[in-house]
Amino acid sequence: MTDSKTLAFIKMYAIFGTLENLCELDENARALLKNKKPISIGFEVKDGPAATIYFKNGYCRMEDGCSPNCTIKLPFSSCEKFNGMIDGTVTPVPTKGLVHIGFLLNSFIPLTDLLTKYLRPDPEDLKDEAFFELSTKLMFYLITVALSQIGNHDAIGSFSADHIVDGNILMKIEGGPEATIMVHKHHMVTVKRNIGNTTALMAFKGIKLARDLFDGNVNAVACIGEGTILMGGNISMIDNVNRILDRVALYLA
Amino acid sequence: MAMKTYEYPKGREWFNRATKVIPSGIYGHLGPAEGNFIPVTSFPLMGDHAQGAYFWDVDGNRFIDYMCAYGPNVLGYNDPDVDKAAKEQMKKGNLFTSPSYKMVELAELMVDTVASADWAFFAKNGNDVTTGAILTARAATHRKKIVFVNGFYHGVSPWTQKIDYPGILPEDVANNLYIDWNDFDQLQRVFDENKGEIAAFISTPYLHGNYFDNVLPADGYWQKVRELCTENGTVLIVDDVRAGFRLDIAGSDHFYGFEADLICFCKAIANGYNVSCLCGKDFLKSAASSLSYTGSYWYSAVPFAAGIACIEKMKKLDTPKMFKEKAIKLTDGLKAAAANNGFNLVVSGEPALFYLRVADDDTFFIHQDWIQECVRRGVFFAGHHNHFMNAALTDEDIAFTLEVADDAFKAIRPKYK
Repeated sequence: MTDSKTLAFIKMYAIFGTLENLCELDENARALLKNKKPISIGFEVKDGPAATIYFKNGYCRMEDGCSPNCTIKLPFSSCEKFNGMIDGTVTPVPTKGLVHIGFLLNSFIPLTDLLTKYLRPDPEDLKDEAFFELSTKLMFYLITVALSQIGNHDAIGSFSADHIVDGNILMKIEGGPEATIMVHKHHMVTVKRNIGNTTALMAFKGIKLARDLFDGNVNAVACIGEGTILMGGNISMIDNVNRILDRVALYLA
Repeated sequence: MAMKTYEYPKGREWFNRATKVIPSGIYGHLGPAEGNFIPVTSFPLMGDHAQGAYFWDVDGNRFIDYMCAYGPNVLGYNDPDVDKAAKEQMKKGNLFTSPSYKMVELAELMVDTVASADWAFFAKNGNDVTTGAILTARAATHRKKIVFVNGFYHGVSPWTQKIDYPGILPEDVANNLYIDWNDFDQLQRVFDENKGEIAAFISTPYLHGNYFDNVLPADGYWQKVRELCTENGTVLIVDDVRAGFRLDIAGSDHFYGFEADLICFCKAIANGYNVSCLCGKDFLKSAASSLSYTGSYWYSAVPFAAGIACIEKMKKLDTPKMFKEKAIKLTDGLKAAAANNGFNLVVSGEPALFYLRVADDDTFFIHQDWIQECVRRGVFFAGHHNHFMNAALTDEDIAFTLEVADDAFKAIRPKYK
């Protein structure tokens, strides 16, 4: 009960989009990009997402749309092909910037491998406190962005989004990362920080709890009763977001 | 001097025990995750006992209960007349192989009491009878589609849920059509687009959903709906599970001047004893008879006896009139308490099932803050659900409620200057 188009949007904005946070939070990621000329990769998926990732001084940022000025362009004839590239079953062929293939092979792929290490962690790695914290923060960004993509593109997720009124839903891990889901006319956009004007709030009490939730080790409904997930404001918005969250696990499984 | 506020250490201990052996600790509408307990630390989690208009939690805190167990408490907890009838029946027997004649007596009473009823069919919960109504409508019409009003709640069976709910398949709700409340033109359009396919239109008598101000029917709305359903051979189902007997002993359809084909009752039938009832018009009796639909406890005689005593007492007291008068006194006082403290409290819905919203912000943070301060002072309101009146509520209880409301507004005032 998932579809490849929604999955492509998740892979583009939630997975590749989390590279921004990886570079921000992990010096090993920055090291992969250091002493390199500014470079950009444009992704264009037919009947699917398009975005450009800009790399500069060890950091990166994603912008919507495949920029005509991108250094490297990777087009995909379908969402399935794009998804296959991320799963490692499809080899992309650049239509622009072939001379920068070295960046793709020596910087971009190691960077995505590093991201995978944090997003699909080895249980042993999670015993390291710093790794655990960074991995959980990145998971938080991944999930909050995936949530909007599912609300906008998945058939059942859109049904939930259609029941969300306009406003800003603040999601946060207390003492950790925050994200705002902006809803306007049932379209959802995730901003990976607290932008204020909060209409509804969902807060996880601490990074350990967030991890347990993400890993399915604790139940969100029980946590609300226990007071380890706090909610407030327009509860109807939270109620519908929770229904979409249920589908995030399905897509990210 | 500010009032003392409650704490709930024992309630928390019990809840923690519950989470080990019960999914989510307390599931469903009484659970803290339903969105009415914000923050959960301000609300009692486990009850100990109840009497009249009050319940006490396991920490010994007393609450004036404006939720009435979400409706069943209509005469007051442990009403002596209802309990006497129940105990007498219990001595004779509750559930045995032949149904007790009490079932017939209660069915006769329902038919005599409910204006649109020619027959009565008993079950246990509201969901049993709303589902029975849909089955009856489909059996009678041999049609698939059902029209719902957005914001509805008709129970928990798959057909009552939505496509994005856990455990629900698209096929479960494939024949559900949705319209907005009070929008007759939209309803007419849906009927035109699905000519000869709509088995039933199901609706509560007015829009008493959660998270929004409740809305009464527009003038002439129900009469037009009635006519449209008749013209199209569609069964008109009124879900009176929540409002039933609180607006009108003869049914909420009677209250609004029309007749349903099927009408569903539960909460207020027997003052907490578990019985629900589907009433219907004669032309649907055969379809109801044809259903394969029953349950192990649907023939319990004690709730039938309790139901008879409860309905007789509601008639004697004229509880709908009483509820309206008391509720207006209460809600006028609450609005005044808000205004005296610089807040704007909106009261919506029918007085007997009043819905509250502090209207000074769109996010409900102020509203939720005031509600929790009331609860911590011994007045149990729910954040985003209609409330329920009961006959045991006294003028002294109302006066105390207004004192609490005022103190709660004063407590939150400094935060929202």
